[in-house]
Amino acid sequence: MSFDIDKLAEKTKNLSIGPVYDTNWCDMPAEIKLKCIGKMELSERLSVRCTAKAERSLVESQKVKFQYGNIRVTSMFLDASLIPKYQDKIAFRKFGNVNKGFECLKFIWKVVVFENLAIKIRDRADAKEEIMSYTGKISAKNIEFDFCDNDVVVPILQKMDNSVESITVNAEADLAVDEILEITQVQNVPFWQILYYKKRDSLHKVAQMWLDKNSKVGTIFKASVKINGSFEEFSKHFLDCIVSKSEKRVRISTNNPDRHILLERGLDDVYKMHHPLKFFRLMVIPAEMKDSEYDDNCKEWICKMVPLTYKYFVRMIM
Amino acid sequence: MSSTEQGTSSAAPAEPTTAPESAAAPEVPESFYYVHGKDKVVHKVSAGALQHSALIHGMISNLGYTEEQAKANPFPFENIDGDILQMVVDWCNQHKGKPTPPEDTNLPKQKEKLFDLVLAVNYLEIKELLTYCCKQVAMMVKGKSPEEIREIWMIPTDAEDEAAEKEAKKRAGKEAAGETAAAAGDAK
Repeated sequence: MSFDIDKLAEKTKNLSIGPVYDTNWCDMPAEIKLKCIGKMELSERLSVRCTAKAERSLVESQKVKFQYGNIRVTSMFLDASLIPKYQDKIAFRKFGNVNKGFECLKFIWKVVVFENLAIKIRDRADAKEEIMSYTGKISAKNIEFDFCDNDVVVPILQKMDNSVESITVNAEADLAVDEILEITQVQNVPFWQILYYKKRDSLHKVAQMWLDKNSKVGTIFKASVKINGSFEEFSKHFLDCIVSKSEKRVRISTNNPDRHILLERGLDDVYKMHHPLKFFRLMVIPAEMKDSEYDDNCKEWICKMVPLTYKYFVRMIM
Repeated sequence: MSSTEQGTSSAAPAEPTTAPESAAAPEVPESFYYVHGKDKVVHKVSAGALQHSALIHGMISNLGYTEEQAKANPFPFENIDGDILQMVVDWCNQHKGKPTPPEDTNLPKQKEKLFDLVLAVNYLEIKELLTYCCKQVAMMVKGKSPEEIREIWMIPTDAEDEAAEKEAKKRAGKEAAGETAAAAGDAK
């Protein structure tokens, strides 16, 4: 029997816990604190983070997932609406004090892993400075910029981690595509699109970047352009490597014999040639893909780009 | 060790209950084990209830006690207050063989007790109860400002922390100097 007691005594001795419990938060081991922080909502995490240095690093080490995030900064306010899951209540709201809002925004970027993140920052020099000064990463699977110019889009995309799968840039604000194409995250993303672009250089520049980077089959870029000439500019740029060309499509070869790049024009009963908004889809395709395998239904991919606009135009022509 | 039947917890189940089985299956008697905390009060707990604690479950498996041996050798948890161990035993008994519900509203609201419970549960490796406890700790600060949280959880400010650290260093330096002087005195 004494043998059993010895064994038991040895077992308990080996367990790494002190003989006396303290009863304050500060005496709790870090792994327990992290478990507790993991059960808190974002606003409480933000408060705990502000209590002391140790708590700050603990809170910031714990990631939290959100399905939707919508960040809007205007001249009057900063609004961060975050929804953990579909149909959940909004976790964060408006900040009248924009400086306090930015402080919070940086915390959000540091700890939140977004499924979908929408950013709208307009005409705020301080916002751009705050973004530039943020040194951490931003994690989002799908990111969308609305009314943001290069000063916002470029630094944010540069700070994205590798989890990004799709990028949408609404180019109502002036946008220069060259600077965007230099960003590694854009070069590696499987899908991205520019909406309401006002220049005709996007298609051939994106295709050229794919050529240079030997981008994977399945990589897609879509664009809606407000002026004529993008299709022609693309054809002119790649004149020497055109494999086939029609009114709707141009197919070019690449340096990789296994891959071609296909440009499609979105033309159907709703979006005709003379329509003020032009839709394009650019894809890296396998070189062996036959013409008969092309997807002739452009309605589907246009609808995904601008669902409401498409419905509106359908109503107009009926 | 006062592992007498008088010391046995009143919260422990009077008799082990067994799940209804088919008439053909012979009834297997449930085995019991004994635990005590800092107050030496022994709690009789069924093996089924103790399944919640990975630590105790592991101990039972390793030691291979018979009923008699278990009775004579209660598991000593000297680092757990008696009332906290009682709470843990009660919880294990209440949730014996049952799926744990998503919420547990019977946890202590009192801060000190809750923190002690969290530490005990963590030590005893009771995963589900630890989840409830952590949730309860998180609820303590719901809607509270950083200042309020600092007050509730007695978190020192960074300035207070630095001052305490400085003080500790100063004290350690003085003690070291004292020891050197004493050693020099001894050498003489």
